[in-house]
Amino acid sequence: MNKTTRKFDIILFGVVLITIIFGIVMIYSASSVWAEYKFNDSFKFIKAQGFFFIIGIFIMLFVSKIDYHIYQKKANVILLICFMLLILVLIPGIGKIRNGSRSWFGIGSLGIQPSEFAKIGLIIFVSKYLAKNQNLMKSVIKGALPILGVIAIFFLLIMLEPDFGTGVVIVLTLVSIIFVSGVNISFFVRIGCVGLLGVVGLVIAAPYRLKRIVSFVNPWTDPLGSGYQIIQSLYAIGPGGLLGQGFMQSRQKHFYLPEPQTDFIFSIISEEFGFLGVLIVCSLFFIIFYRSLKISLSCKDLFGKYLAFGLSFGILIQASLNLMVVVGLIPVTGVTLPFLSYGGSSLLISMISIGILLNISRSSN
Amino acid sequence: MFFRKIHGRIRVVFIIIVIFLICIIGKVFYIQIFQYKKLSNLANSLWSRELPIAADRGVIRDRNGIELATNKTTTSLVVIPNQIKNPEQVAKSLSDILQSDYNDMLAHVTKRTSIERVHPEGRQLNYETAEKINNLNYDGVYLVKESKRYYPYNTVLSHVLGYVGIDNQGLSGLELYYNKYLTGSDGAIKYFSDGKGNRLKLSEIYEPSAAGIDINLTIDINLQLAVENELDNVISKYNAEHALIMVMNPNNGEILAMASRPNFDSNNYRNYSTEVINRNLPIWMTYEPGSTFKIITLASALQENAINLFKDTFFDGGSVNVDGARIKCWKSGGHGSQTYLQVVENSCNPGFVSIGEKLGKETLMKYIKEFGFGSKTGIDLNGESSGILFNVNKMGPVELATTSFGQGISVTPLQQIRGVSAAINGGYLYTPYIVKSFSESETNNVIKEIKPNMTKQVISEDTSKLVRFALESVVANGTGKNAYIENYRVGGKTGTAQKVSNGKYMVGNYILSFMGFMPADNPEIIVYVSVDNPKGIVQYGGTVSAPIAKNVMKSAIDILGIEPSKDVIPREYTWLDTKYVVLPSVLGMNKEEATKVLKGFKVEYSGNGDTVTYQSPKENLYVEEGSTVKLLLN
Repeated sequence: MNKTTRKFDIILFGVVLITIIFGIVMIYSASSVWAEYKFNDSFKFIKAQGFFFIIGIFIMLFVSKIDYHIYQKKANVILLICFMLLILVLIPGIGKIRNGSRSWFGIGSLGIQPSEFAKIGLIIFVSKYLAKNQNLMKSVIKGALPILGVIAIFFLLIMLEPDFGTGVVIVLTLVSIIFVSGVNISFFVRIGCVGLLGVVGLVIAAPYRLKRIVSFVNPWTDPLGSGYQIIQSLYAIGPGGLLGQGFMQSRQKHFYLPEPQTDFIFSIISEEFGFLGVLIVCSLFFIIFYRSLKISLSCKDLFGKYLAFGLSFGILIQASLNLMVVVGLIPVTGVTLPFLSYGGSSLLISMISIGILLNISRSSN
Repeated sequence: MFFRKIHGRIRVVFIIIVIFLICIIGKVFYIQIFQYKKLSNLANSLWSRELPIAADRGVIRDRNGIELATNKTTTSLVVIPNQIKNPEQVAKSLSDILQSDYNDMLAHVTKRTSIERVHPEGRQLNYETAEKINNLNYDGVYLVKESKRYYPYNTVLSHVLGYVGIDNQGLSGLELYYNKYLTGSDGAIKYFSDGKGNRLKLSEIYEPSAAGIDINLTIDINLQLAVENELDNVISKYNAEHALIMVMNPNNGEILAMASRPNFDSNNYRNYSTEVINRNLPIWMTYEPGSTFKIITLASALQENAINLFKDTFFDGGSVNVDGARIKCWKSGGHGSQTYLQVVENSCNPGFVSIGEKLGKETLMKYIKEFGFGSKTGIDLNGESSGILFNVNKMGPVELATTSFGQGISVTPLQQIRGVSAAINGGYLYTPYIVKSFSESETNNVIKEIKPNMTKQVISEDTSKLVRFALESVVANGTGKNAYIENYRVGGKTGTAQKVSNGKYMVGNYILSFMGFMPADNPEIIVYVSVDNPKGIVQYGGTVSAPIAKNVMKSAIDILGIEPSKDVIPREYTWLDTKYVVLPSVLGMNKEEATKVLKGFKVEYSGNGDTVTYQSPKENLYVEEGSTVKLLLN
């Protein structure tokens, strides 16, 4: 087929690889002390991450060769599988608990998060729905409410784990696709209100979320409890200064910042490379986003357009949420930094997303 | 086209995300640039652990640079439990070396704290023990420097020096008064630790400790030792309740020596009662001064021309009636007709009552206050008293009379020595002081020099000269005979004050004092001696305190190098006294001539020449009649 032989966006591919490799280097710096202490193997985490990276390259290249229209045809099946997986993971014995959430399948340290797959499944489903019912979307009741209902069901399932961060990322991504599809602004004002009520409800349901909000406003009210992470993050970023402490010279990774290779890897980057490192990381994400949106804008069919936008927005909104948490702009939500944070499942999903984007880029050029 | 709306909204979303990224970069910029200092300090205090290095306290020296309060450097054991890998083994080794309990040591070594001082068994270790611990080379076991205050002279000058507490903080005396100066700033070795307390291989920061400022006193330690020796003697000889001696330079207010009994050892102050360690008697104790106070009355009367020492006379019939009260003279039957010089020489109370009456209460009280009584002198020590005077408006004739000879009022020894100094030094009232200068501990450079502080001229130079003359004749001819030193002009006044208890005079319980100065024509030192209730001797100032003052002055002659005087008022002798004569010169004479001239002396010869080339004692000195004279023949 003509489409698969065309060149994909080599800049996007290259920048993503650079970002992931930089991530692996930083995971080594951030985790070596911790890994040495816990597993007597300072390379423990980068071995796993490197393994997923290599698998990920093959999967990404493989996905980039699969014509994305197949997802349009199989959207309902994909969504159903995701739904089943989200149900299964809630069953004790099948789903495993990590960090207080029953959100994992897997054996030992290898594992996958069904909510991550559900993210892609939902983006595909919503893109297909919107592309098919473009005219229906002008009516809130006939067009928008059914799709919002589907989103709400999935969100509730994810909140049962609970995984608030992933849930928020998914909802924001899907709502942004609906926004792009041309629904009236007044509609978003209304679901914005509903969303706000929902957040209030969630806070009442689980008071630890309120603590996170309070500790966000002033982390020093509870420096050893809910404010601990953000204070430790600030202690890493602040002393970094303009040029940082230097590679491997982080002090906060020495058991001050817990598990620095995951959610708070950006703190360690800021500490070791200072403001310069922050600019580099933000630039990498900017380029990824810019190239991805370019793919979306130049895609000829509506499904591809929505899919490319949804996948790139999903990565960028997650990155933004993570960075805003780390620098103290919003309360702790518990999302990882795409490409950079340690985590095989998350890395694979991000790379699959890029693979799909690369395939769309083949068709549009 | 239909895509246009979609593309427009994609661009809106793009801009929103870019704004997010800009906000993030902006926030990081704010944190790393504007909050850099604050967060770095906070983070540093989180990361860094400190091993303290104790600072030395400033040294206290006497006027000639001899150290009176110094520091002993010791080491003490500190453990950082988080860094200790094998607590049982470390506890075992340490308890073996220190010969202490294993379980106690294990508790120190495993305590949940960032840094633990092993107290008390690990403090002030000697060199061998410290070396043994050092050789163990255990992680988390440290030896840190500790500085301990040390007073090489133990009990000497203890009330003035004071003492320090467990953390080297001044608690009394100069240690307290100048604590800010003496306290150094502690240093530290700062190292970085991880969240679990382990030492990181990052550079250490060494902050050296800075010693406190050194203090140089006006005290002369040799004179102080002589004074302390006299006090020890008087206590063992008379079993006195209290005794105190002060020596001052009357021309500037420098305290040269100052001590009292009971005293204490500044190194072990905890072994003494709080009354003993906290009462610096020369500045704290107040009592009726008795006759030494007559010097003040005399000086005031001479300044006011109320009396003429040589021409005016007073008849003492043994007592005088003041407003119905009968005031007796110490000599039953009285002294008869005397000039006022004789009144002073005899310390005749009715005579001083008449001087007081001539002055009037306003004038007398004005002078008493001007001489510094009734208020603190301002010496640089804590715990000074002001004493109590009569209120001039409520004073009747009886109060005026008793004040004239030093009764019914209450003063401190320091006020007296200061007031009398002004009376004999030309009339100048100085603020007494004990710290001469401050110097930097490393370089010994003087930072600040204390200048004498003259507050007021109370009487004229001429009046002062008359006072000196009168007091010299007290020693030569009057009640102060026991302070007479051959070849030196000594002035002085005795004092015998009855003590008051519960508003009544106690029977047979006196404070015996003597105020002496020399040379009387140009005083270099003034000495005040006060002995409280000595036993087994006639309770009279002339017999107990004057000889002590004499001994102190004789020591001062050697220590301070006071030259012999010319024109000494010859002493009046009684049949009990040894007679002193002027030794003639025999230099250059031959043996026969010399023996002839030295008739009445025992003569010892040495050398085998024929001519006298050296004689000891030297010519023109007063020597005891019949004493030995050594001649060198050549």
